[in-house]
Amino acid sequence: MLQKIYDWVDERLDITPMWRDVADHEVPEHVNPAHHFSAFVYCFGGLTFFVTVIQILSGMFLTMYYVPDIIHAYESVYFLQNEVTHGVIVRGMHHWGASLVIVMMFLHTLRVFFTGSYKKPRELNWVVGVLMFFVMLGLGFTGYLLPWDMKAYFATVVGLEIAESVPVVGGFAKALLAGGEIIGAQTLTRFFAIHVFFLPGALLGLLAAHFIMIRKQGISGPL
Amino acid sequence: MEEKKHKVSRRQFLSYCLMGVGGFMAAGMISPMVRFALDPALEAGGESDFVQVTTLDDLTEEPQRFDFQVEVEDAWYTSDQPRSAWIYREGDEIVALSPTCTHLGCTVNWEGHDDHPNQFYCPCHHGRFEKDGVNIAGTPPTRPLDVYEVEVRDGSVYLGRPMQR
Amino acid sequence: MQRGKGMKFVEDSRIPAERKPNIPKDYSEYPGKTEAFWPNFLLREWMIGAVFLVGYLCLTVAHPSPLERVADPTDSGYIPLPDWYFLFLYQLLKYEFAAGPYTVIGAVVMPGIAFGALLLAPWLDRGVERRPFKRPIASGLMMLGVISVIFLTWESVDEHDWEAAAQQGEIVDDIEVDEESEAFEIYLNQQSCIGCHGGDMLGGAAGPSVFASEYTAEEVKDIIENGLGDMPPGQFDGTDEELETLAEFIANDGQDPNGDGGDDE
Repeated sequence: MLQKIYDWVDERLDITPMWRDVADHEVPEHVNPAHHFSAFVYCFGGLTFFVTVIQILSGMFLTMYYVPDIIHAYESVYFLQNEVTHGVIVRGMHHWGASLVIVMMFLHTLRVFFTGSYKKPRELNWVVGVLMFFVMLGLGFTGYLLPWDMKAYFATVVGLEIAESVPVVGGFAKALLAGGEIIGAQTLTRFFAIHVFFLPGALLGLLAAHFIMIRKQGISGPL
Repeated sequence: MEEKKHKVSRRQFLSYCLMGVGGFMAAGMISPMVRFALDPALEAGGESDFVQVTTLDDLTEEPQRFDFQVEVEDAWYTSDQPRSAWIYREGDEIVALSPTCTHLGCTVNWEGHDDHPNQFYCPCHHGRFEKDGVNIAGTPPTRPLDVYEVEVRDGSVYLGRPMQR
Repeated sequence: MQRGKGMKFVEDSRIPAERKPNIPKDYSEYPGKTEAFWPNFLLREWMIGAVFLVGYLCLTVAHPSPLERVADPTDSGYIPLPDWYFLFLYQLLKYEFAAGPYTVIGAVVMPGIAFGALLLAPWLDRGVERRPFKRPIASGLMMLGVISVIFLTWESVDEHDWEAAAQQGEIVDDIEVDEESEAFEIYLNQQSCIGCHGGDMLGGAAGPSVFASEYTAEEVKDIIENGLGDMPPGQFDGTDEELETLAEFIANDGQDPNGDGGDDE
């Protein structure tokens, strides 16, 4: 039955080569922890992706309850954490995932750096990776404000003051991020939009580019 | 040939293991989130609060409409929402019927149509109910009107939540 | 498979009519210990992933994510702290060479150089050598960067008063003071009380909210008469009866204990 459905689709779209290419690609010995234990350093990238997937999923579920409004944001977070079953786990996954993804990405970056994997011909993939690092930091910064508690508010105040200290464009950048003079209703909706739509959109695009480039160039050889 | 057969079965074995581990990871990730999302649907109905609606003296044998307010808690909002009930006495018993038609949710009226005295009438699809709330065969509604839980304290009538019969 | 002229397609599409057989590559012909991605290698990766996930879930269950009280922009006493991965930047701005008139250096120039160099690493380190010990400058600079980030983060964590911050952020129970009551009238006549505990009884310049700790009426009376900690004794100038009323009012969280002031059943 399944085979028939597969054949039906395959006849129309020729999907076999697409996934066989991914399934059959070689994984060399030097990145396989089963052969060299030290190769576990090659797992950091995969784990970063895994946590990213968890972040996207848990974030999607959190928006079922969250409202980005200064009057109700805090109450909705309090409600989803304390009143909704497993709210503590889902919010916890998103909260701790944010830290884990930074840790894993940091380790992955170090691995790529110290194995010299960013050298020709993989320069572009390194640049895309560093851009993703910035996007992740941006996600962390914008996500921090959303619960609208003391920590969120004052950390954002500090962050935006740092942005303001940039010469020439600082004041403009701050007003753009805060959506006005004060950190309030418009800041929250802006940060929400950036956190939920803009940066994840950018992240997905960069991730796709990252993976396509790895498939094209293959993983870097042994040292 | 023998060699090849062996290879395929090893590959299949690995594939099954892979699916098992993948399933475990997916379940570990998704199950708390799904339970989180399903929470409103699985939440058991809360205790019903009784609200004072009217006094015993105001009730007659004839159903009368009473409007009252119920405090509704909706996550982080608490609001007062209007409700109404058709209430009448039958000897010592007090009957409070919900005015919501069991067909498609319009509001029924007592003797709402001149041709049908002593019946509840729904203007939307001509549904009709007897005085005790039982639907009349041959009209659209398929079950009787809901009844409120009734409690009498110190000569006042308190209503709880509407119950299906 | 036939290619070029005479190739057959499915209907009018550009999908080849000839099916490619769905057979996995035979890895036995490759030298060395190369493995197929699916399913061999992915299984290993996912096993690591599963262990990681279990640890992750244990972490979320053991440490619920923190939530402080709702943001209060007027509370100037709060010590703000960014998320931990921004601490190194936050700490950098505390040093003299990167603060005050030199904020630009700490906020823009130094992070700009560091992150810019990271982004452009492939063009700054152009040699073909990949082993870290064979390119000491690149490796050394990276180590320096990592160590300074770790050091700054450590310093910042060390300097922050975590206990005070936790207390500042704590969720406090809402207390509604019944300002119509007789006891509140009595309180308003006590200038020495208002001086520290504020005009609304919820704390002020020198004293906490009078409802901050759970005391019985007797204990409250004793504290008003004899003082506690920094609070001096004998500040109350009213009758004993008034003192009694006030103490009961405070012990009852701002509601008249005898009247129907409380709106909870």
